[in-house]
Amino acid sequence: MSRISIALAGTLAGLFLCGQVSAADLKIGIMVPTTGSEATAGKDMENSIKLAVDEINKAGGVLGMNIVTITGDDGCDPQMATAAASKLVSSDVVGVVGGYCSGATLPTLKIYGDAGTPFVVAAANSTKLIDANPGTSFQINSTGFDQVNTAVSLFAEKGIRKLAIVHQGDGYSEDLAKLTKDKWTAMGNEVVAYEVVNKGEQDQSSLVTKLKSTAPDAVFWTAYYSDGALLIKQLRQAGFRKLIAVGDGSNSPKLLEIAGKAAEGVLCFSNPTAEYLPAAKNYTASYKAAYKQAPDAYGPLAYDGMKLMADAITRAGSTDKAAIVKALKETKDFNGITGAVSFTDKNTLAKSNFVVLVAKGGKWTLLK
Amino acid sequence: MPLLFCFPVSVCCKREPEVLGNCIWNIAMSHLDIILQQLANGVILGSFYALVALGYTMVYGIIKLLNFAHGDLYMVGGFVGFVILSAVSGLLGEGWAAITCSMVLSMLAVGLLGVIIQRVAYQPMLNAPRLSILITALAVSMILSNGVMAVTDGEYLAFTTDLGYDGLDFGNVFISYTQLMLVVSAAVLMIVLTLFVHKTLYGKAMRAIAIDQDACRLMGINVNRIIALTFFIGSSLAAAAGVMAGVYYGSLHFSMGFVIGLKAFTAAVIGGIGSIPGAMLGGLTLGILEAFGTQLPFVGSEWKDVFSFGLLILLLIVKPTGMLGKTEIERM
Repeated sequence: MSRISIALAGTLAGLFLCGQVSAADLKIGIMVPTTGSEATAGKDMENSIKLAVDEINKAGGVLGMNIVTITGDDGCDPQMATAAASKLVSSDVVGVVGGYCSGATLPTLKIYGDAGTPFVVAAANSTKLIDANPGTSFQINSTGFDQVNTAVSLFAEKGIRKLAIVHQGDGYSEDLAKLTKDKWTAMGNEVVAYEVVNKGEQDQSSLVTKLKSTAPDAVFWTAYYSDGALLIKQLRQAGFRKLIAVGDGSNSPKLLEIAGKAAEGVLCFSNPTAEYLPAAKNYTASYKAAYKQAPDAYGPLAYDGMKLMADAITRAGSTDKAAIVKALKETKDFNGITGAVSFTDKNTLAKSNFVVLVAKGGKWTLLK
Repeated sequence: MPLLFCFPVSVCCKREPEVLGNCIWNIAMSHLDIILQQLANGVILGSFYALVALGYTMVYGIIKLLNFAHGDLYMVGGFVGFVILSAVSGLLGEGWAAITCSMVLSMLAVGLLGVIIQRVAYQPMLNAPRLSILITALAVSMILSNGVMAVTDGEYLAFTTDLGYDGLDFGNVFISYTQLMLVVSAAVLMIVLTLFVHKTLYGKAMRAIAIDQDACRLMGINVNRIIALTFFIGSSLAAAAGVMAGVYYGSLHFSMGFVIGLKAFTAAVIGGIGSIPGAMLGGLTLGILEAFGTQLPFVGSEWKDVFSFGLLILLLIVKPTGMLGKTEIERM
């Protein structure tokens, strides 16, 4: 009886050990929201990271080791994110890729910093992350500053002098509006209107009248697509024929659907999403083959993040965290599908990856 | 610069009364186009408020219930109109014929929904304390909005019609035919309602019930049927406004009834809750105040609600029963 139970225990233990990470595996953490309101985006990032891992493993792995992943769910919530980061750190990951919600990513930077764990922040891009970075995190998405730079240089290129800016009073859209206003006036141009639309209010005709009376050369909407579509429609209905541009929060096919033909010619600043990236063709094809759906907005960045992490470990030549951080810092024109990745001395993306889209025939297409 | 009357006066004019008067006139004339355009914007927005406010005021007039589900009936009306429009657009296209058809059908459907809500949720509570029935109304509101959220996945729906951008162009003042049609239909509905309440037997019964339910019962009036009729009319007016909003703004969302419900309720109160002409007047007043609030000098348009609601509070201090409200004589 007892012999049988010992044998059984031995077998069980053997089985258990097989399930464990073997010595030749390299453990990478994924931190994304897989539950809650942002779960769709988080799942998409996780899928993309796993896709990159599969490709790397098929090509022989990194330093002769297979990559295995472990996911921490940050739930787009600072508290959950803190727990997820602690879990990843205590399960001895070599590095972490992920980060979607800026608010949730923010408190985790210190946790990874204290553990010396390199963290490639794939999507989160609040300017607040820059100051909170202990030096071990690397942002591969452009920040709000980059969008502003892309926006003002486009406006200047189009010969615009008088700009009207409309936001919605929330952190994201007001931040973008204010940064744009400061930059635009610093360049010696004029902001003729700086206005707010209440969320959920459908009638914007009185605001449209006011905007028109200031005779702007362009109107820049910095908030989200649903109310943005209404503003565009009502501006065009009231006879405003000049340039309308919208920020990345309005980058949605829904905007074009709601605004209809009024949206024709509207410009949109956008993060690089798969459909506008020529280099992302193979990625999109294998994503569709693996998951039976098209990748979402931040998939390509997550995919690039994982590939960059593997590249840095290869260049570091070891799994020593400090060496990987050093290698990440020295990244020079890493050839990602979203563009070339190099870092500033603050570990942010050196060259903006924002693209400009134009609404044409009810679809967003790349402007240049 | 969009300077408007009053404020710049102190900056740019001398203070003698005659000069000041001239000066105000000059400034007003130089911005006449903006003033007229904002007036038009205000009237259009105000007619939406008025249509929705009518339902609030009628229901309050007859059973003293603040029907908080009313804004959600507006929302449901928009969605029902959307479904019907998609169904008939193959046959009638997406022009005025199809829109009128979907508006009428949506008014019927949502009117019936209003009656069902009254029968199921409010009728059993009629003799309960007022607060209980108020909470029931909140529950109905949540059921409606969350129900639509579940069905639509919380997505925005695009309400596509092929109405063009043509309109009446008076130099700097522009009113599109769509806007004009909306205001006209709202006005027609309100006139019909006024005639109904004042010229028909049913209208008379409604007014009588608002005064004294028990006496009406003794006189042989079927009180429950008249209350149901009131809910039907109020709800179908909200549905009409919902379809109009869908046509005009081009998008539908399950939360769209919230803001307008709040504003229409305010309009009903400042007009004098329980009074039908009061609701119309209150709606127009609120719409116009909001439009001009956007043009406040020195501050941005985010102050428009502070401006309009501030004035409304002042009005209620001076006249607590609202513009056309009477203390306790006759409602409706």
